[in-house]
Amino acid sequence: MKAAAVEIRGVHHGFGDKPVLDDVNLRIGRGQFLALVGPSGCGKSTLLRAIVGTHLPRRGEIRLFPPGADAAGLLVTGPGRDRGIVYQQYALFPFLTALENVAIGLMLDETSIPFRFFRFLRWRALRRRHLEMAVEMLARVKLADALHLYPHEMSGGMRQRVALAQALIMKPEILLMDEPFGALDEATREELQQHLISLRSENLLALDESRTPPHTLIIVTHELNEAIYVGDRVVGLSQHWDWRSEGHQSFPGATVTYDKATPHSSAKTDRNFGAFAMARDEIRRVVFEPQAPPGRNEHVTYWKTRASPETTDEPT
Amino acid sequence: MIRHPIPRPAALALAVASILVLIISYTVLSERQHRLNPGDTTLPTWSQLREGVGVAVHKNQRTGERWLVEDAKASLGRLFLGLLWGVAGALILGLLMGCFSPAEAFLQPPFSLLAQIPPTAVLAVFFVLAGTGDNMYVAMIAFGVMPTLAMTVHMAVKEFPEELQFKAYTLGASHAEVILAIIFHQILPRLLDAFRLAIGPAMVYLIAAEMVVGDVGFGYRIRLQSKLLNMSVVYPYLACLAAFGFAMDGALRQAQRRFCPWYQGSRG
Ligand SMILES: Nc1ncnc2c1ncn2[C@@H]1O[C@H](COP(=O)(O)OP(=O)(O)OP(=O)(O)O)[C@@H](O)[C@H]1O
Ligand SMILES: [Mg+2]
Repeated sequence: MKAAAVEIRGVHHGFGDKPVLDDVNLRIGRGQFLALVGPSGCGKSTLLRAIVGTHLPRRGEIRLFPPGADAAGLLVTGPGRDRGIVYQQYALFPFLTALENVAIGLMLDETSIPFRFFRFLRWRALRRRHLEMAVEMLARVKLADALHLYPHEMSGGMRQRVALAQALIMKPEILLMDEPFGALDEATREELQQHLISLRSENLLALDESRTPPHTLIIVTHELNEAIYVGDRVVGLSQHWDWRSEGHQSFPGATVTYDKATPHSSAKTDRNFGAFAMARDEIRRVVFEPQAPPGRNEHVTYWKTRASPETTDEPT
Repeated sequence: MIRHPIPRPAALALAVASILVLIISYTVLSERQHRLNPGDTTLPTWSQLREGVGVAVHKNQRTGERWLVEDAKASLGRLFLGLLWGVAGALILGLLMGCFSPAEAFLQPPFSLLAQIPPTAVLAVFFVLAGTGDNMYVAMIAFGVMPTLAMTVHMAVKEFPEELQFKAYTLGASHAEVILAIIFHQILPRLLDAFRLAIGPAMVYLIAAEMVVGDVGFGYRIRLQSKLLNMSVVYPYLACLAAFGFAMDGALRQAQRRFCPWYQGSRG
């Protein structure tokens, strides 16, 4: 993982007089699965919305580094097709079937209203190809027999799987998920986590073949198990940090207080339960407990233990 | 029991029974009236009604026209044209108001004021501005139904979850596509519902205007014939209006089922 996909630089945000984020910095390598955790209301969704580009931060910037971009990268100024999003609710367009929901991204991205109107025959041929691709994508999330169901006819788990397919078919530079499985029952949740794990396996396979890993993910979750299981890096955002020692008179906002690799990310083995439990306890202590708040960089060690990625693509 | 459903055959039987009750009570009433006054025309007997229908569809030797055909052509033409303009205008203005805050700030005050004035009261104004031609009826229906329809569209757009809008952008949609390919689809069933509800008021405006200033049309004929106490012509005309309203309602419902198959289930 040599190339960075996203860089968050000095992001501050707030609503009215209320500070929410204070100096958030993150560099996310291409192919990384980053799990973002933190106490309720700390600003995880706010940070994610800033990356999506729908709610830009007050200060600081977010840059994307798609292959071929120059060293400065692309500044995020609004939502774009290079970032996919899966929300907990409103996952799908209610007026489209599963198949159409997945195919609509290809339509919106590759064609325009005048094209669909004036080049009707070309559009029809293209549409057939889009639908074939969508069928394939839905088969990959095991929904081959639900193609023509409307969202209200699907279970919550099915809907989230369609939403995943909808985002994946666009091959986004980075996939953003905000508590995507928060409303699902345990079994469905595990099944969907398994899907994310399989995406990570695709990354590993690509690395083995020295290709660019296809999937980069930021997943917001309040489930620590999920974070450690799905992510290969856990970032804790928290309002409990020692801001007084940095000279702040009043609370400046939440910041990153934890940033470490998950136990299984280095070893290619399966879950190592002892290390797993230790990591979970550490995150709970550092990120969630208001007593003895940590300093800003005490537990932010992810890039200290490995080479930081370049912001441009390595020539291979 | 409260809200307890009944089997379908029973529901059907009750529906037939209610119609039968209507017919029988009318027959009894009209019989009684004719026993008291054999020359009565306010509650015509069935044979008188048949004659009335005969008059309504009788071909006038001089003009070559039949009343019912002539009136239907005039009234329906005005009604459809008025509704068409009203719905088109409401859709455009409602989308503008829902999607663009400046348009909302600019258009909402006049709309909420205009919506309070009964269009029949504005009849006089239209009469002066547009004359008594067909344009007046069309304008009155269009402006009569537009405020409520536009408000409905406006509210439906406002209720559109912004997450879906953001998602559309991440899928590569342009602003125009978000409005025309996403939001429009979402509000279409609501628009059809509102359209259905607007047909009633539109007919009220039309009939009222025709009664006051018309020289052809349902309202004109009904007023004229009821003045002459020719209820045997008036009742068939009313029946035609009911049948028309019923058919329009059914057609729009069918359209909604056909074009928005997702809607009925997703509200639940
Ligand atoms: N539109 C808004 N207007 C005002 N305050 C807001 C707005 N959105 C969020 N906030 C505030 O910003 C803070 C962070 O909100 P955010 O939704 O990012 O938290 P979160 O970490 O995602 O929480 P949760 O885990 O509950 O989803 C909260 O205290 C919230 O009250
Ligand atoms: Mg949130």
